[in-house]
Amino acid sequence: MKDSTRGALVVAARTLVAAVCVAAVVAARTTVGWGNLAIMLCGLAGLLAVLASYNRRYL
Amino acid sequence: MATTLSTPPSDTSAPKRSAGRPARRRGELRFVLACLLPALVLFVLFMVVPTVNVFRMSFFTWSGFSPDMRFVGFDNFVKLFDDQQFVRAFQNTVALLVVVTVVTMGSGLFLAAIMTRQRLRGRNLYRFVLYIPNVLSVVVIAAIFSAVYDQQNGLLNGTLRLLSLDGLQQVWLGDQDLVLWSVAISMVWQSLGYYMVLYMSSMASIPEELYEASGLDGASTTRQFFAITLPLIWQNLRTTLTFFVMSAVNLSFVLVRAMTGGGPDGSSEVLLSYMYKQAYTNSSYGYGMAIGVVIFAFSFLVSLLVSRATRREPLQF
Repeated sequence: MKDSTRGALVVAARTLVAAVCVAAVVAARTTVGWGNLAIMLCGLAGLLAVLASYNRRYL
Repeated sequence: MATTLSTPPSDTSAPKRSAGRPARRRGELRFVLACLLPALVLFVLFMVVPTVNVFRMSFFTWSGFSPDMRFVGFDNFVKLFDDQQFVRAFQNTVALLVVVTVVTMGSGLFLAAIMTRQRLRGRNLYRFVLYIPNVLSVVVIAAIFSAVYDQQNGLLNGTLRLLSLDGLQQVWLGDQDLVLWSVAISMVWQSLGYYMVLYMSSMASIPEELYEASGLDGASTTRQFFAITLPLIWQNLRTTLTFFVMSAVNLSFVLVRAMTGGGPDGSSEVLLSYMYKQAYTNSSYGYGMAIGVVIFAFSFLVSLLVSRATRREPLQF
């Protein structure tokens, strides 16, 4: 696989994961409960993981 | 040390100087401590003691007024597990933290990049207009948005009526599903200009030659943004991410308090407003402090994780 294709796929995957995390946070808020709060916190953790994975190559 | 040993015995000034050095260092240390002491005393008095007190009070039940204070151990924390209103406030805080951060940071970066890189006519005016909300008091912003969201005479519903879009009219601050997002919009509006100006100041310090060189190599504007701009303003981004965490907790309290009071039926309650309600309105000071401990732990943990996730070597340019 070409480097540019691989790079584009990684960017697309990260964007998708970030969008899913935000959507999970928004959707889980509609019902009150510890389970839903856990889903929201997982979404927040997922966003931080995306940020960390983007930042990893600059360490 | 080597200089002292090689000095001839007849020269008495050198040993005197070396003997005087520890005394002088001690004097300097005393001076530094004396200078730091007022700040340290104030810090301990107004930061450390109240924080420790919050932790201590979370183990008691106290109405806040009576002299009776009863030690209950972790009972206040156990009670949190059965409190659905606390869970809702926590969910709202997390939702605001994520959505407001993503929207404000994305828009702030986008606007800053446009205003710095594109030679927009009247960009100083745009910058001024976008920065104004930050100068206003949060309570004034709450009043402005309460007027905008007003069901009968509000700007939003009025505009929708004018455009014959009556079906889209909403009770913006009265609908349980919408109210939090109405508050989120006012939070974004309040802070967007501030973050945009912060990002612009960082972007303005990036040398133009880097963009010229990458332009000659055929890099597009988007490529330049991700390969040059973003890495070179990273330290600024890190700082603002921590600001976002703090403002999501603090700013949301003031706006919720002034705009909705946590309603309708607690659907816009956030952690700090719920803590305030428990500690000062519901006369459950100890329980309120237990919520305060959770807020402290949550903010601290998220700030730490953000700092860890974004840590990198600063670039020199």
